[in-house]
Amino acid sequence: MGVVEKVFESLKEIPESSVIALEANSDAYFDVIRAITEKISIYKNLDVIYINSTLPANSIISVMDLLDIKRDNIYFVDCGSSVLLTQQTKNGHVLFVESPTMLENIMLKVEFLLRKLDRKKGKLVFLDSINSLAIHNSLSILSEFMHILFNNMRSKGAYTVVLSIKEQSSDDISRALTMVCDEKIDVKEEW
Amino acid sequence: MPEQKQSKVFSLPKKGQRNRCKTGIDTLDAILNGGIPRGNTVLVTGSCGTGKTTTSLEFLVHGALYGENCLFISVTEASEKLLANLIPYEFFDESLLKRGKLIFIDMPAIYERLGLQKSEFSFEEIDLLVNAIGDIVKELKIKRLVIDSVTSVCFQLKTEEKIRDFILKLGKKLSDLGCTSLLVSEILPSDARYSTYGVEEAIADGIILMGNYERRGDLLRTLQVVKMRGTTHSRAKYVLDLTPIGVLLVPMLKGGGD
Repeated sequence: MGVVEKVFESLKEIPESSVIALEANSDAYFDVIRAITEKISIYKNLDVIYINSTLPANSIISVMDLLDIKRDNIYFVDCGSSVLLTQQTKNGHVLFVESPTMLENIMLKVEFLLRKLDRKKGKLVFLDSINSLAIHNSLSILSEFMHILFNNMRSKGAYTVVLSIKEQSSDDISRALTMVCDEKIDVKEEW
Repeated sequence: MPEQKQSKVFSLPKKGQRNRCKTGIDTLDAILNGGIPRGNTVLVTGSCGTGKTTTSLEFLVHGALYGENCLFISVTEASEKLLANLIPYEFFDESLLKRGKLIFIDMPAIYERLGLQKSEFSFEEIDLLVNAIGDIVKELKIKRLVIDSVTSVCFQLKTEEKIRDFILKLGKKLSDLGCTSLLVSEILPSDARYSTYGVEEAIADGIILMGNYERRGDLLRTLQVVKMRGTTHSRAKYVLDLTPIGVLLVPMLKGGGD
């Protein structure tokens, strides 16, 4: 079984309102994206709110198109473009945050999407990644951000998945995730 | 023993009886434990670009959508220009204007009708102005009023005594009519107080402070309810976003004091 299938298998039975940390090697990065945006979202019929800070939304969209992943139900909260000074082209599925340090604005964009999208359909918030946000923010403010955002999602019945890249992580980040997540899933290549 | 007669001087409202005027901005209503106590006169204060007018307009539009008659008195900006700002709102319904649920009046038109042309109003002229606003509110059965901005009106009153007189009389008149009012107040970003003249803040029933908060080069729009008579409320600072679906608020992060 490949990484995509393994991530899918470990996530498909999680109940609503769950907050899951996925710890993966950078090699598995695009497999994890595929498992979340394609497999899980279709299986559970979810809209995906994708908070991207690792790469600009345009780059992720290009990869998704290459992998032939349908994007109709994927909405980006893009805090990866401003840092790279990438031109922000208007797109109905991408909301830009001026800087990855504006954590409140990430919460505001997520809230906007939750209100704007079909309320009957379930939601999955995918945070990619805790490590790239940690480059720009102190761990204390990041922990506070996750605590508020994740609990808010929990109260609304949404699924939350936060990605942590092993090579970029630290004990402090791991501890912070333990505090705010219900479960940690270790994405191993040799599963 | 003779039965004790109850005092008729005043009666206290029963616990939890005070009616609320829902702003329609969900998080703000949660901050205020259900909304602004009906009849309160609230100062919405902040420097330019903090969202005072937009927030006040949204308060009125929601009121009109709830079926209440709402009035916006514009002191500095022409109503047409303000209306243009309303149209992008997804919840705005143009029929509210046609049905008279949402009314815009320019303050200069009121001044002109009352013959108030001097650069400084006398106490008698203040009475005239307060009565004229009261008459409009009564006649049109207004339940929500915004004056944008009260600072511009106060500019023509000059002295603290006159400003106090105006705000006190206006607040009393509007409250007696069951009208919940927002008085928009402009302050400089550097101001330590909540109003230009320092008088308005002491008299108002509530103060909603809007600001720009700079954190490591990022400029965040903030909202804080500093005071609100008649309700318990959060006094924490919130970050806001002005969106086509209205004002959204989230708690401001403290980051453990970083």
